[in-house]
Amino acid sequence: MSLPELSLHGLERPDSLGSVCERLAERAARGEKTVLLAGGTDWFVERHVAPATDGSEAELVLDVSRLPELRGISASGDTLWIGAATTYLELRRHPVVAARVPLLPAMSKDVGAVQIQARGTLGGNLATASPAADGVGALAALDATVHLLSVRGPRSIAISDYFTGYKRSVRAADEVITGFTVQMPGEGSFQYWRKVGTRLAQAISKVALAGVAEVSDGQVTRLGLGMVSVAPTTAFLPTVRALALRRPLDRIADSALDAATQADVSPIDDVRSTGDYRRHVSGALVREFFRTLRSR
Amino acid sequence: MAEPGDRRSFMKKATGLLGLAAAPELALAAREAQTAPPPGLHDVALSVNGTKRTLRIDPRVTLLDALRERLDLTGAKKGCDHGACGACTVLVNGRRVNACLTLAVTCRGKEVLTIEGLAQGDTLHPVQQAFLEDDAFQCGFCTPGQILSAVACIREDRAGSDLEIREAMSGNLCRCGAYPNIVAAVKRARDAQAGRAQAGRK
Ligand SMILES: Cc1cc2nc3c(=O)[nH]c(=O)nc-3n(C[C@H](O)[C@H](O)[C@H](O)COP(=O)(O)OP(=O)(O)OC[C@H]3O[C@@H](n4cnc5c(N)ncnc54)[C@H](O)[C@@H]3O)c2cc1C
Ligand code: FES
Ligand code: FES
Repeated sequence: MSLPELSLHGLERPDSLGSVCERLAERAARGEKTVLLAGGTDWFVERHVAPATDGSEAELVLDVSRLPELRGISASGDTLWIGAATTYLELRRHPVVAARVPLLPAMSKDVGAVQIQARGTLGGNLATASPAADGVGALAALDATVHLLSVRGPRSIAISDYFTGYKRSVRAADEVITGFTVQMPGEGSFQYWRKVGTRLAQAISKVALAGVAEVSDGQVTRLGLGMVSVAPTTAFLPTVRALALRRPLDRIADSALDAATQADVSPIDDVRSTGDYRRHVSGALVREFFRTLRSR
Repeated sequence: MAEPGDRRSFMKKATGLLGLAAAPELALAAREAQTAPPPGLHDVALSVNGTKRTLRIDPRVTLLDALRERLDLTGAKKGCDHGACGACTVLVNGRRVNACLTLAVTCRGKEVLTIEGLAQGDTLHPVQQAFLEDDAFQCGFCTPGQILSAVACIREDRAGSDLEIREAMSGNLCRCGAYPNIVAAVKRARDAQAGRAQAGRK
């Protein structure tokens, strides 16, 4: 794409989160659009898909990729903090994450390829609120909390309350995603990630399932599920969760799981797959999750 | 291989427009550095293949376009311009980057290595040599990106099994399907470099 076809934008590199919030607040008040440049792996593609139209307003790009407040992973007790600008490669290489939340490196390995994993961030993955976001599927299964910040102050929301519709969320135009907290699953927990795409790398999910379960005395005591690309937003599979949580594992029948899954998904036909295929795979993944859980 | 009479330099001579883009960048940069950039443009000093370069650029310009159109380094290829093919892979501070997904202004102060900077004079880099020996290309379009990706993959110690190499190289597509030979070349280069390191220690 040549320069004249790309919409004009300025670029600033604020040196603190505070100045990012101030910039966002003043621009949001004027109704101006601001892009936060984290890894750029979504934004670059988007600006090609929606190139400049005559008279389009100049937008401002704020480079947030190196803001220390948005970087880093740390654990305190059983709570894991993941900064919004954390990359997939960082998630793959962190020892605490590998030991306690192997779901995250497993998911990260399946995102794009190394070049994308080195740049793409979890915050960027959530910000677009796309149902095809693999990282968000994993955060959904972990029942993560999303942390937002603006000049009006910080707020935290359960990820299940974050989405309001296809590519829509409760995040206001002046808010930055600062990071996520996750209650790390206990030792002996079961964590599951399975992505179905056209090939192993550089493929957006046709369907993917992330799952977390803890079982005590044959009863499911913790259950989190996040399914990708089967609904207008990341699917939390509430019917499946309700069916299985605090139930004896050996009394959860496949037929009941199938019915619950089908109630929870509403996939469509698109360039990547068909609604029928996605329904079929959704059921198969949920069954595989529980089959593997039972056989441990 | 860029020879004086190749198609690109012919086109540049033949068309005034492209000829302008090929104006001696260093002299231009020196003149520009005297003055502050006009509004909307940025001055970016970076190292490319070991040489300091200063670019006065629009913030929309990608690293790929800056390399190809401003610095006349056309080794990095524009396959998809979307991060999907890896043909534009270069190393920034030693790490693989899709130059098409990188704004040139964000490379201020960084070291960029492209395929043009890999060989030492007439001596090919071991990865380049291995690609020749294993016939790891057909049309060659993906090759500069494959080679830089392979350099980093070996340096990152991710060139163990075939499976590991395939995963670490999976961001570099080859339309000609030279994959088996690419994997063989990566292994050959890995072993050659390990052998050399061993010999160096003795
Ligand atoms: C070749 C290729 C393959 C891909 N494969 C996959 C895949 O397998 N799975 C997958 O899920 N995705 C994939 N993606 C999409 C993309 O890489 C991911 O969604 C990635 O996580 C986006 O993060 P980013 O940092 O690059 O976002 P950016 O492009 O930097 O930002 C995207 C949007 O998020 C906003 N934003 C960024 N950070 C914040 C923040 N902290 N607070 C508020 N808003 C913010 C920006 O304003 C922008 O609008 C792929 C992309 C490419 C190009
Ligand atoms: S041109 Fe950059 S990845 Fe294809
Ligand atoms: S050699 Fe032709 S694309 Fe790889």
